[in-house]
Formats: sequence, C-alpha cells, structure tokens
Amino acid sequence: MSSTAFDFVLQTALLLGLAPLVSGCIKNWKAKLQNRRGPPVWQVYRDIGKFLRKDMVVSEHASWVFSYAPYVVFISALLAGLMVPMVSTQAPLSLFGGVLALVGLLALGRFFLALGGLDPASAFGGMGSSREMTIAAIAEPALMLAIFTVALAAGSTDLSHIVQATLGPAWSLLNPRHVLAFAALFIVLLAETGRIPVDNPATHLELTMIHEAMLLEYSGRYLALMEWGASIKQLVLMTLLVNVFFPIGLAADASPAALGLGLLSYLARLSLVAGVVVLVETANAKLRLFRVPDLLSAAFVLASLALFSTFLFQ
Amino acid sequence: MNPAISTDIAAQLIALLAVLMLVVQLLLVVQRMLLTSIRLFAVQSMFLAGIAAVVAFFHGAMHVYIVAGLTFIGKVMFLPWLLDRQVRRMRIGQEIEPLVNFPTSMLTCGGLTLLGYIVARPFTSLERLGNNTLAVAITLVLTGIFLMFNRRKAITQVLALLTVENGVMLAAVALTTYGMPLVVELGIFFDVLVAVMVLAILVYRIRESFDSMDVGKLTQLKG
Repeated sequence: MSSTAFDFVLQTALLLGLAPLVSGCIKNWKAKLQNRRGPPVWQVYRDIGKFLRKDMVVSEHASWVFSYAPYVVFISALLAGLMVPMVSTQAPLSLFGGVLALVGLLALGRFFLALGGLDPASAFGGMGSSREMTIAAIAEPALMLAIFTVALAAGSTDLSHIVQATLGPAWSLLNPRHVLAFAALFIVLLAETGRIPVDNPATHLELTMIHEAMLLEYSGRYLALMEWGASIKQLVLMTLLVNVFFPIGLAADASPAALGLGLLSYLARLSLVAGVVVLVETANAKLRLFRVPDLLSAAFVLASLALFSTFLFQ
Repeated sequence: MNPAISTDIAAQLIALLAVLMLVVQLLLVVQRMLLTSIRLFAVQSMFLAGIAAVVAFFHGAMHVYIVAGLTFIGKVMFLPWLLDRQVRRMRIGQEIEPLVNFPTSMLTCGGLTLLGYIVARPFTSLERLGNNTLAVAITLVLTGIFLMFNRRKAITQVLALLTVENGVMLAAVALTTYGMPLVVELGIFFDVLVAVMVLAILVYRIRESFDSMDVGKLTQLKG
C-alpha cells in the first residue's frame, strides 16, 4: 500500500513540476531554431509564480462559473495525468473505464474552460470558446478512436494494461494499425495543445487566437491555474503518445534502479516528441480557421482506418 | 539470421511501408499546395522503392533491385523535378477548390479504403501475401482515380495518375514476392515516364492557350 502512495506522490510531483518545463523547453527550442535567443526554459515557472502573487481583477458580470472554472480545469488535467503510466507501467490512479474516464476528464476540463471564456460576456471569450468547441468536436472522436485501437489490441481499456501489452514483442510496434493510430493521435496532440497548424500559442491576435481568447479575462491566481492546467494537459497527451506507442524502458517494478531508468527513458522520449512538435511548429504556417477541420478530418479518418483494420484482420 | 524470423521482419516492414504509402495518399487528398503535393508524391514513391528493396533483400531477387533503383531515380528524383519545374514556370502555387470539398473527399477516401480492405480480404489467406499490402494497393488505385476526377488542375490530375501507377507497382512488387518479369516492369515504368512527359507538355499548352490549368475550361471552343 505504501508503494501505491509513493507512486501517487511521485507522479503528482512529476506532473506539476515537469509540465511547465516541457512548455518552456518547446518555447526555448523553437526560438533557437528560428535564430532568436528565446526565453529561458524556466520562464514558464517564473510566469506562474508571478501570476500567483498578483491581484485578480474579476469582471462584475462574471458569475460563480468564472471562479470555479480554473480549479476544475487544473484538477481535471491533474487527475487525467494520474491515470496515465509515466515512469512505471502501473498508473497510480485507475478509474472505471480507464481510457473512457481519461477522455471524459479532458472533456470536462475543456467544457469548463469554454464556460469560463463565455461567462464574463466578453466578445473575444465567446469567440474563443466557440472555436475551441468546433475543433474539439472533431479532435475528440479522433482521440477516442485512436486510443480504442490500442485498447482493442491490448484487450483492456485500462491504460496500465495497455502499456504492459505493448511492452511485449518489439516488432508489434511497427504494426500498421499502430502507425495509423499514432499519426492520428499526433495531429490530435497538435490541435488539443493549441500548436501551430491549428492555433498559435505565442500570439494574442484576435483573428487567430483560440486558447488565449478564452483566458483573456483571467488574471492573477486564476490565470496561473489555467496556464498550469494547460501545460499539464499538454504533458498528459504527450505522455499518452510516448508511453502507449513506445513504452521502451518503463519500470516494471518499484525498485529505485528501475524507476530511475524508466524516468531517464521517459524524459528522452518526451524531449524527442517535444523536438518533433518544435519542428512542426517551425516548418508550418498556421492554417486558416476554416481549414482546420480539413486537417482534423484527416486525423479522424486515419484513426477510424486504424480501428477498422483491427477488425478486418482478426 | 533465422529464416522464419527474417520473413516475419520482411512482412512487417512491407506492411509498415505500405501503410505509410496509404497515409501519404490520404494527405495528398487534403493537400492544396501544388509543390507540397509533388513532394508528397516523391515521398510515396520513396516508400515504394523501399518496399522493392526489402523484397529484393529478403527474397534474394536481384532484378527487383533494378526496379527499386529505377523507381528511386524516376519517381523520387526525375518526375518530381520535372513537375516542380513546370509548376514554378507557370507560377501557380495553389489548387482551386475541388469539386467535392476537402472533409467530404477525405471521408470518401476513408470509405474507398474500407472498400479496398473488404475486396482484398478473400486473398489475404493466400500463401506469402503481405497481410494488407493488396488492400493498400487497391486503395491507392481507387483513391488515385477519385483524386483524378475530383481535382481541376491538370497537374494534380497527372499526380493522381502517378499515384494510381504507384498502386499498381505496389501490387506487382509486393504480392508476387519475386516481382513480375523485368521486361513487364520496365515496360510499365517507361510507359508512365513518357506519358507524364507528354502530359507535362500538354499541360503547358493548355495553360498557354487558356491562361489556366482548369480542365473545366477545355469545353469552351477557341476560335
């Protein structure tokens, strides 16, 4: 039982501590790749620390939804993170339905994020919420189908079981349906974390912003929670990508050596994915908003093909 | 190497590359920039050359190496270069809106892929067939034809024809294991090469006469 508690604490600490670092690394590497100096990798920690100390300004039109939303967004992202195996094959938290609960938690966070954008009745917030939901309506089914493909192959919707099943023979990683599902999940990752072909995380230009538009009315502690929650969600999706599809070197037991090795390999794979995201962000221009469904429908079709091909070759 | 394991690896590699070809094909369906489309076609042909090389290596068929080499030189380097130059010379970067819009054509191609899988299913139990390579080959032909009549620019139609040919080559190389007789493959190869060169000139002429590559305008008479 104590090892479960230890897992719990370790993973919570990892999620809280690592998430801003990943965002910071992506920002820094992107700047380096574009020949700029860029903010230091720990800038995101400083930002969050500063937001936490600042006063809040809350619109007089805002209701209780506005002040609850940051907590729901933050906690749902954290809970979702606890359900994904990070360093060891065993995730500390396993709710009913596994994968379904994970997608549900992410959807809950998104729902409250959109409500928080709508509630203060600012024009930009409503626009951002509407855009976020338009994108989520296609990205979410693609995410579910991609994870179901892997769940079907593993015979369980529990993420710990899925990871243990894919840990088996190395050649099964090159399975066609894995490749299709991986491609779909990567596009979903770009869409859900507001990366460049879909949204630009570095700008507050009204024509293009999606995620930032919903956060415009937030300040102080709430803004810190929102930003932190968003970076945790990004880390959760990246973890899903690296651990479900390439679970190499994950710790099978709770011994310190295995955990250390697992952590090292996890960090290496994570920085690889972050590097690919940086490359994609640098090499592409942002899509027009009405073109985004084209990209996401590609992800959806890839994911459904992955699922169909599982059934056709049983 | 243990022969059973090496055959297994070969089958996995071929299936993987074939699915990558399919992914590129689906990306081609939603791509509107002409230059990117040409690059995607080059990538798809590179995967095809990879499959030919894997077949040649694991089954020791020397003449398949020639097919791989020709595919690489012809379809990864020469034809993309030719089409690239053509597009740059005509200064047209973008495809106009296709007849069926992009999300719908993506879903249609998803359906065609499903059709390809279902049609290929009775054959998958046969000896030696790469598990879903035939399905991918059929799908490439079907979506290639769909792409051909969905797009209006003549250059994209040429690209679509080339992807159909990629599908045929995939079936020829991967499914017969030792490939077709070299003469047949060389025949197909040069056929397409010449066809594309002729088409490229034709496209240029269409552009000269009509100030557009939109084949819809070919119905108008010109005095």
